[in-house]
Amino acid sequence: MRVKPWKAFLFFLPFLIVFLLFWALPFITGVVGSMYNYRLGTNRNDFVGLQNYETILFSESRHHDNFFLGLGNTLIFVGISVIPLVIICLLLALLLDRVKDPWKKVFRTLFFMSYAVSVTAVSAIFIWMLNGPGSYINVTLSRLGIISAESPIGWLSEQPFAWLSILGATIWWTVGFNMMLFVNALNEIDTQLYEASSIDGASYPKQFRYIIMPSIIHTFWFVLLNTTIASFNLYGQSYLITRGGPGQSTSSLSLQIYRTIMENKNLSVGMAMAILMGFVVMLFCMAQYLLTQRKKDYMEVRK
Amino acid sequence: MKRFLAILVSALLLTTMLLGAAVAEAPVTIRFLNGFTGGDGAFMKKITDGFNASQSKYVVEELQEKDHYVKFETGEYDLVVIHGDLLPTYQINGAIQPVDSLYEAAGLKPEDFHPTGAAMVTLEDQQYAFPLDIHPLTMFYNKKLVPEAPKTYEDILALAGMLGDNVYPMGIPGSGLSEWYMMFLAAQNNVELTDEGALKFDTPEFAEVLLKLNQMLFVDKVSPVGLGLDGEFTTFMTDKPDASAVQTAVALTGPWFYTAALEKYGEDLGVAPLPVIGKGPGSYGGAHTIAVSAKVTDPAKLEAIAEYMKYMFTTENLLNWADSGQAPLYLPVIEYLAAHQEEYPLSYTNSLQFENTRIAPPVYNVREQSQYLGSTIYNLVVTKEGLTLDELMPELEKATSLAREIADE
Repeated sequence: MRVKPWKAFLFFLPFLIVFLLFWALPFITGVVGSMYNYRLGTNRNDFVGLQNYETILFSESRHHDNFFLGLGNTLIFVGISVIPLVIICLLLALLLDRVKDPWKKVFRTLFFMSYAVSVTAVSAIFIWMLNGPGSYINVTLSRLGIISAESPIGWLSEQPFAWLSILGATIWWTVGFNMMLFVNALNEIDTQLYEASSIDGASYPKQFRYIIMPSIIHTFWFVLLNTTIASFNLYGQSYLITRGGPGQSTSSLSLQIYRTIMENKNLSVGMAMAILMGFVVMLFCMAQYLLTQRKKDYMEVRK
Repeated sequence: MKRFLAILVSALLLTTMLLGAAVAEAPVTIRFLNGFTGGDGAFMKKITDGFNASQSKYVVEELQEKDHYVKFETGEYDLVVIHGDLLPTYQINGAIQPVDSLYEAAGLKPEDFHPTGAAMVTLEDQQYAFPLDIHPLTMFYNKKLVPEAPKTYEDILALAGMLGDNVYPMGIPGSGLSEWYMMFLAAQNNVELTDEGALKFDTPEFAEVLLKLNQMLFVDKVSPVGLGLDGEFTTFMTDKPDASAVQTAVALTGPWFYTAALEKYGEDLGVAPLPVIGKGPGSYGGAHTIAVSAKVTDPAKLEAIAEYMKYMFTTENLLNWADSGQAPLYLPVIEYLAAHQEEYPLSYTNSLQFENTRIAPPVYNVREQSQYLGSTIYNLVVTKEGLTLDELMPELEKATSLAREIADE
């Protein structure tokens, strides 16, 4: 039966409406808005072309400093977080894969539960555990005689501890999501492959290298890409746990954009920063994609 | 037929008259926006509800919102609570209007308010708001550890030797009230922080204030080091210390922590004005004012606002605000608090500090101008042992240059 084009369009219409309202329109508004000098609360709203971009990228203004400070901090977080977030989740998934039901379901639920908690609650927990000399971790370390009460570790007020705290909170919070993706990918592997390789005398490391990794490689690259984007968008943890400190050393690019727009009311500059951030993330992901494609081709040739 | 027509016309006339009367008697609605989303919100609501119940000509629709400034700048509101430090910014932006005529209509005069509050709302010789309260940095002390409130820095130093292991006289926070700590010391040392409409930090006097703060931590050791967010209060609330935790006897902190402190210490909680650590008494704080949107031009609305202010600024009604722990700036209420100190210990103590409390300097976008100071420089001051003037001054110059850039925008 041939479906008339307008009927097909009706099926497509809900997506089109949502796409236009929640993606295209905000994006176009952002691009257009970034070419004005609009500041909330003032009557200033003149077209300035690419001046905001020039100010952010090339001038000696505070917007330039704030953008590159945020970008630098974000890159630090991407650098320290992506590998642990992927590897720890993969290890957990591999461990779960070897656990028998019903414990497998129990642990899978337990690990995933933290992902359902809001970032506000996660931050409150980590502030309680890490803030100041009376915090749970400092008091415990002090009771164990590892540190003295008068010289507590500034988990949130000194570097590199502040980054470690944000990293710990992020891992605890998001570990369940990536782990579930890996668990599902592992479930798809044909068990006969394990049995056959065992008969041939393959050890677990060899099974991992020649059966598991090639089977879950697509999920692995997806998780890597997804985690990279998520790390680029670091916001809630640094806003709520360290408030961008100590100094401004954990103030991520998203946080700098938030402050430019919501605290300093500089909407147009904030929009330009957001567009630039989008480009940076896109470039980063493209580079990662190209790199992984080459790697995939290489692995497929080896197979 | 004629009879039917007569009935129909009469019915129409009657309906029109009734509708007209209803329209004529429809109350004037004022949209009042504020950010009182904490415990104090209920007390402001009580005032508003009282006003709405007291008459039928006007209705105040009170909206308590977290990001109320963004809402004010993007929506239609008549009356708005603006913090004292932001009033000059909103005045320069043309978002609020002078309210001298509303003072008159409400039967109020600037002299009805504490001079600090009256000065805060006077911009270019006009009143731009009604001063509601000041919430200054205040002192809580644990009477079990410190029977008498310390009055000078010498008193605090003397405490250092008396309190025993792991108990410190006070706490200097790692973050939170960072700007307040620098500013209250600047106020006590009478340091001027403005220059032609911008904040100016790169003066030897202000550097000396910051070095003093550094010295309090690392030389005089009146506070434990490494206190985190709101550390001045969290260490004050620590239970009896052992080898694993530190405690402080005194907290120089925000009045909003009063309820929690009272719950913990009960009658052992003391409240007093800040001790003199600099050259003279002084504190730093925030303030609330009530301003009128520049968009309000309807005389009926302006009349309604004047009536609401007339209702609010009476001892009986504004005491609701003191019940929330705030310290109103309206003089008859201040007098009432002085006569009822036992009932309002916090509000009364804070009213004693009004004389010497400094609000942020009246410059454009003051919060943005002081951002670098509050984050990067404060962090340097409270973490770097043996901080020198040579290390500090380039940072203060950078903070000043950023402030100037914002002021000149």
